[in-house]
Amino acid sequence: MKNFVFNTALICLLYFAVAQAQTGSISGTITDAKTNEALTGVNVIVKGTTRGSTTNALGNYLIKKIPIGTFDITFSLIGYISDTLHHVTIRPDSAQTFHIQLIQNPIKAEQVVVTASRREQSLREVPVSVSTISSNKIADHVSVRLDDELRYVPGVNMMSDQVNIRGSSGYSRGVGSRVLILIDGLPYITGDTGEIPWETIPIFQIDRIEVVKGAGSTLYGSSALGGVINIITKEISELPETRVRLFSGLYTKPSYKQWDWSENNRFNSGGFISYSNRVGSFGYLVSISRMVDESYRVNDVYHRWGIYSKLSYQFSEYQSLAFTTNFQWRKHGNYFWWKSLSEATRPADSQLSGEVNSARGNMSLAYKEILSNQFFYSIKAIYFSNFWQDNTSGQVNNTAASHVTQIDAQATYSITPKHTLTGGVVANYDRVFSDIFGNHPGFGAGFYLQDEFAPMQSLRLTAGIRYDWQRVWRELFKSPTATSPSQLNPKVGIVFSPTATTTLRASYGEGYRYPSVSELFTSISTSFSQIRIVENDSLKPERSKSYEIGVSQLLSENFSLDLALFQNDLYDLIEGGVNPNRFVIQFTNVTRARIRGLELGTKIDLFNHSLSTDLSYTYIDPIDLTQNTILKFRPRHLFYASVAAEYKLLHSVIDYRYVSRIEAIDENLVRLAPIVDGDNRVACSVVDMSLSYNLIRIGVPLTVGLTIKNLTNYYYAELIGNLAPPRTYYLSLEGNW
Amino acid sequence: MKQLIIIPICLTLIACDGGLAPPPPKPPVELGFSGTIYYAPGSWPPVDSLVNLMIFASQIYPLDSSLVSTGLFSDPPTIFLYPQIGQSLSFFEDSTSYSFPLKSGTYKYIGVLQQLSSDMLTYGIRVFRVVGFYRDPLIPSQPGSVVVNDTSQIEGININVDFQNPPAQPF
Repeated sequence: MKNFVFNTALICLLYFAVAQAQTGSISGTITDAKTNEALTGVNVIVKGTTRGSTTNALGNYLIKKIPIGTFDITFSLIGYISDTLHHVTIRPDSAQTFHIQLIQNPIKAEQVVVTASRREQSLREVPVSVSTISSNKIADHVSVRLDDELRYVPGVNMMSDQVNIRGSSGYSRGVGSRVLILIDGLPYITGDTGEIPWETIPIFQIDRIEVVKGAGSTLYGSSALGGVINIITKEISELPETRVRLFSGLYTKPSYKQWDWSENNRFNSGGFISYSNRVGSFGYLVSISRMVDESYRVNDVYHRWGIYSKLSYQFSEYQSLAFTTNFQWRKHGNYFWWKSLSEATRPADSQLSGEVNSARGNMSLAYKEILSNQFFYSIKAIYFSNFWQDNTSGQVNNTAASHVTQIDAQATYSITPKHTLTGGVVANYDRVFSDIFGNHPGFGAGFYLQDEFAPMQSLRLTAGIRYDWQRVWRELFKSPTATSPSQLNPKVGIVFSPTATTTLRASYGEGYRYPSVSELFTSISTSFSQIRIVENDSLKPERSKSYEIGVSQLLSENFSLDLALFQNDLYDLIEGGVNPNRFVIQFTNVTRARIRGLELGTKIDLFNHSLSTDLSYTYIDPIDLTQNTILKFRPRHLFYASVAAEYKLLHSVIDYRYVSRIEAIDENLVRLAPIVDGDNRVACSVVDMSLSYNLIRIGVPLTVGLTIKNLTNYYYAELIGNLAPPRTYYLSLEGNW
Repeated sequence: MKQLIIIPICLTLIACDGGLAPPPPKPPVELGFSGTIYYAPGSWPPVDSLVNLMIFASQIYPLDSSLVSTGLFSDPPTIFLYPQIGQSLSFFEDSTSYSFPLKSGTYKYIGVLQQLSSDMLTYGIRVFRVVGFYRDPLIPSQPGSVVVNDTSQIEGININVDFQNPPAQPF
């Protein structure tokens, strides 16, 4: 036995030694075909290996340790037509140079997405609606939290901290997100309240964001009721890279004397610095960020420190390991709602001295191995810790700590070039410790399988199924909740491209959300009278069924159109409300709902790519079938317009978003909280503008930006009793070398 | 370049509605009704059974337990409380003047509610009892109806409270 182990180890060592010796490298510069300017952030991938890189500020890339053999090498950047070098032969110790020119065309560019099917595929092959956001857009908008950025995505609107995809979520008082958020494919939902901790998402390290609309539990499990948002973080570049971004924002003084509470100007400032490099097979990225928002409202100030790191190791050209850590510390004023509309920048008196301190972080490990051109697998694990406590005048009120651990093993097998199987198993273990939610363990496991088949070039069929089992206990493995533990979620999809310019799609998918620990077990006296919030461990999971048909049409080289009709049936929606029979507040399954609508999007590219526009309109008809009324906290109309213009070194973007007035709100929340003047609300109609002077293109690694958010200083409330930010001027400076 | 100028101007004009604004100063007289509560001399109960004291105005009469519960918490409600639930009129007074802000409508049952305990979880609706109500001037045994309009406050809605001899309870 000893000999066997020794021999195996020796063979492995020899294999790695030989494999590492027999490699070659490629390098080069990627430029814009029209302007000849260097392109930053181009993804260069050696297909069939784990080797890849992105270009730096000067457009340079370098990929070492490519195994000997013949490969296709792809070059892609959002907004540009991807290019592929076919059959590149890598010889031992060779160093080849390929200078590539990419053609800008946001209309024709075939985007590659990974979220819809858990593998890389062209957007044209996806049977559901997907929107993508590039890191350049995030920089343009000076977004400091991910939810800032999602406000620009077609069909998406924010209700304070809760994200709605085509009206899926509404507002459920800060608990239980009905949209699943992933970081590099792993769930990022807190273990106690089941919400998305927006402020901890490392926004400065995002390569792109993919927003998949419609139920997505077949591949991703709980919470994907209305959609999935996947954040793909930046890879470590092969060349040493330093990135810095600094910004400072100034809130405009209120137009109304009653709202002007501060003698001083209020600022929102911050930035980050990161450095990445590779030493042999080892790569690393470290980043530190700091943000201070003085806020335009009383007791809404926050201070935040963040540390992010990514380490990677290439065992061979076909095996890679990445270890990511992300920690954030935050102190935040406890502003819930205004005192009244007359004093819309002050919180209710009870919130004047409250603050929340939180420490949140995650560690994740991702191992990927390509066994052949047909078969690869990955094993990913994440540990996510979340601690917060709220204080009033230094006195601790409530605390909660949650720990979520999840493992996800996935394999992808291309039986033939036209037939791909994707499957995997997942398991999670959660613990919650809190004085208001109690101490509860949870455990879950599941498996999924998806089959994609393209019987002909123009036709692609997808079918998948996932089984999940979840349990939450009162005590460790004693007294499980009455919540149904098993969930089975199927999906089917079809994509048909009768011509090179037309793509038809249709899909059906299911979603579910397991109730969060806070919905099951919250037990606390409320500030209003002696009415208690009491637990309800009989909650059923919320469920959804999504249907979509769509057509994507390229009308000319510069004009594309996308139309989607969708329906989302929602079952057993959980809402917190007064139980009149028991005179208590409880979370209960109360609502059966149906959301129908359409989404129309168009991209127009003018003046040889100097001016591009992106328009989208979403109509939502959200019906509460239980009450036969409109669903609460859903807008009917969303209209977003984005106009981007380039003139020499100047780049400008103007974004306009319109979210129609919320027709129905929770009157009990307004009355019992009470939120004085809480029923005062208007449509959201906001213009943002950014100008940047890109010196990188002339060899200076700096971009100077001016961004004006809410240009017209329009006063509105996304959520009842919460005045949104007024006009804010940001100056930003970004360096990349 | 023209488009570069025209498009932002158009977008700016679209968004130039102004949005929310502080409401104009309130009229000196609040709508609703006002009056005085008179407490029977020597009838105040011990302090441990006096958690809160509120005026209620119900658009529905007669009431039972379930109508009270749903009336308080339905959307929109049909039973209104003054002051807000969890707050109280002052105790151990001979009389208290009040002004109850309400939306226009007909209120068929108006009275004073005593909250006996803070343990609502155990007792539910029975933590409350009616200790006096506004009586019909013509048929004093029956509750009087008050029509609140949207132009002026209705005055003179006086209520006699006797904690020792409360009226028949609606729940």
